[in-house]
Amino acid sequence: MRILGISAHYHDSAAALLVDGVPVCAVQEERLSRRKNDAAFPLAAIEWCLDAARLEPEQLDAVVFYEKPMLKFERILTMALRSFPRSWRSFPRAMKNTLGAKLWVKGIISSQLGVRASRILFTEHHQSHAATAFLTAPTERAAILTADGVGEWATLSLGRGSVDEAGNVSLELLRELHFPHSLGMLYSTFTAYLGFPVNEGEYKVMGLASYGPPSFEASIRKMVRRTSDGALALDLSYFEFHEGARRSFSDKLVAELGPPRDPLDPIDLDTPEGARYAAIAASVQRVLEDILVDLARSLQRETGLDDLCLGGGVALNGCANARILCESGFRNVYVPSAPGDAGCALGAALAADRLHFRQPHRAVPDHPYWGPEVDAQELARIAVEDGLELAQLPREDELIDRVARELAQGRIVGWMQGRTELGPRALGNRSILAAPHGAEMREKLNRSIKYREDFRPFAPAVPAEHAERFFELPPGGVRLGRFMSGVFRVRPEWRERLAAVTHVDGTARVQTVEREMAPRFHALLEAYGAAAGIPVLLNTSFNLAGEPIVNRAVEGYSTFRRCGIDLLVAGNTVVGKQRAARTAPEEAVA
Amino acid sequence: MRAAPSTLDFLLVPLHRWVWADTQRRARKLLRFAETEADGGRDLSRAAELTRDPSLRRLYLRHAEDEMRHAELFRRRGRELLASRARVFEANWLAPGERGLDDLDVGSQSDESLLAFLHLSEKAAAGRFAVYRDVLGGDPQTRAMFARILEDEEFHMSYTRKQLARLAPRRQGLRLWTARAARLWKAYLRVATAVAGVFGTLMLALQYFLVLPLFAVLAKRAARREPEGFSRARADPPLESQY
Repeated sequence: MRILGISAHYHDSAAALLVDGVPVCAVQEERLSRRKNDAAFPLAAIEWCLDAARLEPEQLDAVVFYEKPMLKFERILTMALRSFPRSWRSFPRAMKNTLGAKLWVKGIISSQLGVRASRILFTEHHQSHAATAFLTAPTERAAILTADGVGEWATLSLGRGSVDEAGNVSLELLRELHFPHSLGMLYSTFTAYLGFPVNEGEYKVMGLASYGPPSFEASIRKMVRRTSDGALALDLSYFEFHEGARRSFSDKLVAELGPPRDPLDPIDLDTPEGARYAAIAASVQRVLEDILVDLARSLQRETGLDDLCLGGGVALNGCANARILCESGFRNVYVPSAPGDAGCALGAALAADRLHFRQPHRAVPDHPYWGPEVDAQELARIAVEDGLELAQLPREDELIDRVARELAQGRIVGWMQGRTELGPRALGNRSILAAPHGAEMREKLNRSIKYREDFRPFAPAVPAEHAERFFELPPGGVRLGRFMSGVFRVRPEWRERLAAVTHVDGTARVQTVEREMAPRFHALLEAYGAAAGIPVLLNTSFNLAGEPIVNRAVEGYSTFRRCGIDLLVAGNTVVGKQRAARTAPEEAVA
Repeated sequence: MRAAPSTLDFLLVPLHRWVWADTQRRARKLLRFAETEADGGRDLSRAAELTRDPSLRRLYLRHAEDEMRHAELFRRRGRELLASRARVFEANWLAPGERGLDDLDVGSQSDESLLAFLHLSEKAAAGRFAVYRDVLGGDPQTRAMFARILEDEEFHMSYTRKQLARLAPRRQGLRLWTARAARLWKAYLRVATAVAGVFGTLMLALQYFLVLPLFAVLAKRAARREPEGFSRARADPPLESQY
């Protein structure tokens, strides 16, 4: 069967293609449109998936959208009615927003792709998250916990999945929490309160949290109450997001915590205001973690299972994931590379295949590399045109040695290999790599490449077999680090030598690299270890602030030219910033 | 190529002087400019990625780097000025500054039409920056910053014009007029969309108050009856349905 999965219209739209039960490609629209967090209908992503598989739309057996638009509309309308008359300002905007395109998904898919309406299916939003988490994980029986801002009505769901010997899949969501009570919205509200963009700045809240004591914890616990059945209920008098008003928090929250941060104000942690922001971030992080750990612990007791699959945007919170692994009783915690809405394109297609069409389960290859392949020749052509120093190293060992040597000498490398990752993290195919040893490298990266706040940490990548030497990994930690989904403590004796990737609280969001998943990246880490003594590299996403992660070689090249990256590698092609003998005649034509 | 204020900007000099006189307002405007410049830089780097012409690629990349540097200059100066938290009327619509390339779909433009658009856009921005420089007599640092940026803007005006002449020696005038018309059309679309938006909002607000109250009472009553905590998830929701 050929099934196309689509997620779109809210944030991070994407497409994924399943052929005979196995994904063949998946890509976020932003990687192709070059608009960060692009929420538009993912036409470019769909076209790329179909081209890559050499399929025409009419050859598809089904197109699956990742949520149910009418159910979502029902929620939007109901919330407007419930908050009447306070919703009078937001109602026209919500209606225009929804009635414009978001409600007519079936017609849009049908007209854009020329697919018969009867072939268009709709999964529920959290069913898509659950399918992404469970059906891509290497487990046959697992509990499932999904949490995000909101889907249709559900904001959090608990369930379990299993695959029997015949390959029949059961994916059962036992219960769910409904909007407006939402852990994702709680965290997003504080993201907005702290002056960061929602759906993008949540990482910043997590990074900032390490700089403060959770001294506002009691205040935040007043805003979110546990219910008798183990769920949670927000005290809505502190929030306004459910009324769709001008902001997501109320004056009462401001009275409790003090004035919100203006997005234009820089965060200076040495000032009382900066310290207050950090303390608030730490407090909301603590509350989120405690609730998630408690929910996971109850789920483990209820199901008696060893494995937990986590999905939804909240599963991007590596600190919470690590605590769940350590404290909930589950032996393994699986988080897909794209637990957010982008991954739902894949989850929707998998859910349709296994649950609707009842196709037998087939193991999904356990890697995140589903996007377009980098074209090294494209980079070589551009470098020659621009008169830059170029080396093509067809022998793998020669390439690895050269790059490892450059990294050991303190150079910063733009590293593009194979197919681009699905999900928000660069996992060794579209990465900026650097030596992790000195704090000055972190400052250099922040100042001349990433142009971002000083309080945000950089992540290390380490071969899986060496990970426990440098990081305090609990059982199951190597697995959680596969897609950089857990934050763990750096062993004290290594913190000084891993200063660029050790956060202020002594932790790091480590990526554990298995040879089978990323052989070339693994070889580079080993070679770097041989050259520098420690097989750990700083690995950050290959993009500049405000831009999506690079996809094509030319995008890597344009990024390389505009920032302090010293060396660009695409496939076997290596380009340095030094000019070749022939100089470019640009001044003459300007 | 020298920057010259448009007639409108020239006439609005007193207004610009008033807008820029307040330190807080000046700081916030500079921080907004920083965002616009950064957006413009991203569009230019995209243009560099898409063009097949190596000379243009190099120039677009240089232009993108200039925009990034300008963004940093604006950001730094804005933060220096942002001394207190006092709120002021920012008057962004009165002095919109450099609009950047924010409503330009770089991917859909040919090299020629993009160059024509860039030339006009840079020319307009340079003219306005010249006015800002002139009205900032009381703030020599910000004035010097605008003067420095203006030099880059003049280079951008110049290279886009020369490259347009290289690529379309016979059609350059036509390209420029087409770009002017496109800018006007976009301005019209912005206004028309805003007017339609206001009209739509009024109609929906009217319906909200006329039609919804009864349903709102019912919805509120239903909400009160809802138990708190978990709900049972639907078992096997049918995938054919949008509900």
